[in-house]
Amino acid sequence: MSRISTPFIIAATLLLATVSVLGTGYTAQQDGEVAAIRFSGHHFTPQTLTVPAGRPLAIKVVNASNETIEFESFKLNREVAMTPGETIRVRLPALSPGSYDFYDDFHQDVPEGVIVAK
Amino acid sequence: MGALLWIPFLYATDAAAQVDPWEFEVYPYATESRGTMELETDNAVIANGHSQGGEGTAAGTFRSQGMWYNQYELTYGLTDRIEAGAYLLMAQPAGHGYWYAGSEYRLRGRLFDPGVLPLDLGWYAELEWHHTRQFDDADLELELRPIIEKDIGRFSLIANPIFEKVLKGVGVHEGFEFGYSAGAYYRWNRYLSPGIEFYGGTGLIDDSDPLSAQQHYIFPVIWGQLPHGIEYNIGPGFGLTRGSDHVIMKFNIELERFIGALFGPSSESGWFF
Repeated sequence: MSRISTPFIIAATLLLATVSVLGTGYTAQQDGEVAAIRFSGHHFTPQTLTVPAGRPLAIKVVNASNETIEFESFKLNREVAMTPGETIRVRLPALSPGSYDFYDDFHQDVPEGVIVAK
Repeated sequence: MGALLWIPFLYATDAAAQVDPWEFEVYPYATESRGTMELETDNAVIANGHSQGGEGTAAGTFRSQGMWYNQYELTYGLTDRIEAGAYLLMAQPAGHGYWYAGSEYRLRGRLFDPGVLPLDLGWYAELEWHHTRQFDDADLELELRPIIEKDIGRFSLIANPIFEKVLKGVGVHEGFEFGYSAGAYYRWNRYLSPGIEFYGGTGLIDDSDPLSAQQHYIFPVIWGQLPHGIEYNIGPGFGLTRGSDHVIMKFNIELERFIGALFGPSSESGWFF
């Protein structure tokens, strides 16, 4: 075995991707719990969202304003631009107890909110 | 994932290994938000390199020592899952002025939404047009990268295996070259966080370079966000083999703005567009 072949690398990469895709159902079954955040009047409501720690969940985010925002959380590694009237669902893994920021990255003057997992 | 990146070192023979010195950047799973334009400049200065052309990061006739690789990148979020980018490659070899080196055009995308798969997967396809043979004697190249990311708590682990093929110019009859970029990042603070990045190339997949002629680098970096949509990533890079340049300083900075979306929101049940 003096060389590595192209088919080996491609097969290994495809295998990795296939394993990931096959795992879809397993993860998707665990995100049924939904909390909600609404953006209107240039601020998020609620400012502090409490969610259960240790369980995957989804957060529904509604942009009820007439401006485009970018819902972002640095600590949770989520970033989505939202046009006026748009609703998204942000899927999150089981969180460790603690505080996680969220903010509108397009408007620096919008007060930052926090998701508290406990 | 890590094992996949390291396997080629074990089977080295000889050919030309390269990294892209204009792009010391690890691509994450997340794409540019829909309707958002990002202007980025990636910079790398070879503080301690090689004195002959064709060695270290220098693929052309200029020596790598003292070279400033300077890239401008414009990226636009087409949909929630696909972005398009164009690059302008510039360089300043020590004592030789400021040169136009080439252009690159790419599409990049993510599959599904984050967290749907156990590993977040994306894709990257790029055409590289090298205008100036003093920097690279391959005229046109195709670069393909799967993007693999896993978030574990506040850690993000990202791997970009790189497959590159010359479509026109020197090397057109050869197969794919293999390279990689990878990173581990800790989300400590929005404004300042640590990370470590790896870049390298082993040469042709079916005819790899000897390990001593390959290039492999490790970059401890700091990265984060600044007010007004500015993000940065900066750090020194250290060559791990004789074929690598010894010390590189990289400085990447980007600015993003929402300019308007061409398409509506992507379907939550979709996986590609």
